[in-house]
Amino acid sequence: MFDGLTAFGHSLASFLDPFSIGLILLSSLVGVIIGALPGLTATMGVALMTTLTIKMPSNQALLVLICTYVGAIYGGSRSAILLNIPGTPASAASCLDGHALAKQGLAGRAMGIATSGSVLGTLIGMFFLALFTPVLGDLALKFGAYEFFWLAVFGVIIAGTLTGDDPLKGWIAGLVGIICATVGQEGIYAYDRFSFGSRDLAGGFNLVPALVGAFGFAELMIAVREKAAPVRISAFDSVIPKLVDVAKYWKTILRSGLIGTFIGILPGVGEDVAAWSSYAAAKRASKEPEKFGKGSIDGLMAAETGDNACVPGAIIPVLTLGIPGSAPAAVLMAAMLIHGVRPGPMIMIEAPTFVYDVVAMMMYATIGILFYGLTLTNVLVKVLMVPKPVILPIIFVLCVVGSFAISSRLFDVWVMLGFGVIGYVLRRLGYPIAPLVLGIVLGDLMEKGLRRGLVLSDGTLLPFFTRPISALLWITIVVVVLMKFPVVRGLFRRGTVARAE
Amino acid sequence: MPATSFPVAPRTDLRTAFFWIALGAAIVFESWRMDRFEQQGAELYTAPGLWPGVIGLLIALLGGALAWRSVRRARVNGWEAAEVDEAILVPASRFALATAMFFIYALLLVGRGLPFWLGTALFVTAFVFTFRRADRMSGAATGTNRGDAILAIVCGVATAVVIPLVFEQLFFVRLP
Repeated sequence: MFDGLTAFGHSLASFLDPFSIGLILLSSLVGVIIGALPGLTATMGVALMTTLTIKMPSNQALLVLICTYVGAIYGGSRSAILLNIPGTPASAASCLDGHALAKQGLAGRAMGIATSGSVLGTLIGMFFLALFTPVLGDLALKFGAYEFFWLAVFGVIIAGTLTGDDPLKGWIAGLVGIICATVGQEGIYAYDRFSFGSRDLAGGFNLVPALVGAFGFAELMIAVREKAAPVRISAFDSVIPKLVDVAKYWKTILRSGLIGTFIGILPGVGEDVAAWSSYAAAKRASKEPEKFGKGSIDGLMAAETGDNACVPGAIIPVLTLGIPGSAPAAVLMAAMLIHGVRPGPMIMIEAPTFVYDVVAMMMYATIGILFYGLTLTNVLVKVLMVPKPVILPIIFVLCVVGSFAISSRLFDVWVMLGFGVIGYVLRRLGYPIAPLVLGIVLGDLMEKGLRRGLVLSDGTLLPFFTRPISALLWITIVVVVLMKFPVVRGLFRRGTVARAE
Repeated sequence: MPATSFPVAPRTDLRTAFFWIALGAAIVFESWRMDRFEQQGAELYTAPGLWPGVIGLLIALLGGALAWRSVRRARVNGWEAAEVDEAILVPASRFALATAMFFIYALLLVGRGLPFWLGTALFVTAFVFTFRRADRMSGAATGTNRGDAILAIVCGVATAVVIPLVFEQLFFVRLP
């Protein structure tokens, strides 16, 4: 306990030099602006910043990425409140009550609530990040090839089930991601798969260009395709958070913080689901559910606390299992690998203080959003007025530069374009992108788990089903999948009613 | 829960389902053709094609499930039900032009001998001017040709100066 606190204190102190403070301020600002601009998401922001920080020392690069991530999730609330357009998908729930409050002339108060909810949400998530990561890290040491295989399958299935409104399409998107991960040389015989004689394809797809394409370029194409909503910014009062709001809604904050963190831990699910789940839970628990959607402070507080608590939550499985809890966390994990940090069960042994470094980075990111929450409103309003034709080509240039920067290959720019087109087409056809990304990220882990497991067990599949943790995981996967079939849900409901009678 | 931005008609889903079935079958076929290293005494479960073959099979199976579901939905609501509202979209020609400009920049203007700053300045200036003008023509924006041209040139030059400065000089990242 005290060792942890001491390590945390050291980590906090290690970022107190002027350069790091400058980075915190700058990257939080970039994050808030990216989050506030509709069409630019946290994933895109983290991916672009990954390429910018590629030559920096690992701790400072990750500090930039975490501040951008936290800033972007918070920044989305600004456009949700002022424009009724969610800056990121995570802020969609905040539109309902945030903009309703703005229409009542309470935009400043709504922004204050968003600031306090986001700050407290991040702090709650951060607390659990510090608490759970060492414990889960110990547990993860018991995982073998079989468990990692099921865990990766679980990640893709859960992301496919929860991130869109059509699980079947989510699962297909996940499988497409997994098949993309098989391109290039495989691990046992160095055999080229699906490379069709191309040396570039034999090296496989670099993760960052693929993610910049699937999230960055695809979103730019969506933004080009959709008409821009007219920008009408509501007038606003003071944006300083009110203590009375925090004191009155402390139960909502705590509940949403816990829900957000838990959903963050689930592989690949992400901040939007955390915000909606926290919002739904707050509505169920509220004495005034009829106010939800019409300017409920409770509802806005829940959504904002939930999505920001999800950020540290999503980093917990990255650090302990090497499995991302959300799409931006997937990019963050890729960045860790680029910078020589190997997230996974061994992290508490190989770099025990790194976890506390991440907690400290989260702490500074929280200070960053609090600072900009109190000071940035007028500047942000001006940024929101910048027309789309000005922003889109600049972001595209960053996508191209970012993809190239990873290994100075034009092939990576083509990969970005290819995944952008795939991402755009899939989005247009109603397929969620998060499972695709999880498939790309976890495909390799899944295959290694399966093949290693089969080699260890001499070709028998039995241990995949009989080892206790494996059994728990595959049974959960089967239940999650079966519960999406109306026939099974109907049977389950009938059984429950019969028991009640 | 958040809805997807673009509702999809059963007819579109059915076409996509056929694509998934074809893709899955092609993956299975290609995986089957991969070397199994049997001459080196390798076991079948270590074959490079095993995993992609399984995934290909699953893609084809889920494609089949999607086809079956689209037929069922079409029987209830018709083949064209729930198609996207075209009113929220810009004309397809405008989208095609923007996409073409993205591709021209990424494939022809970058890394093909033209200095990065020049290619970037040309792309950003052309993009901003074209689409500001299009916004003006459709009544979504106000202004003049001259004003838009100045804005476009400022954006183009600023991007061409700032990006190399930040990436190359500040963060030591190589540009195309």
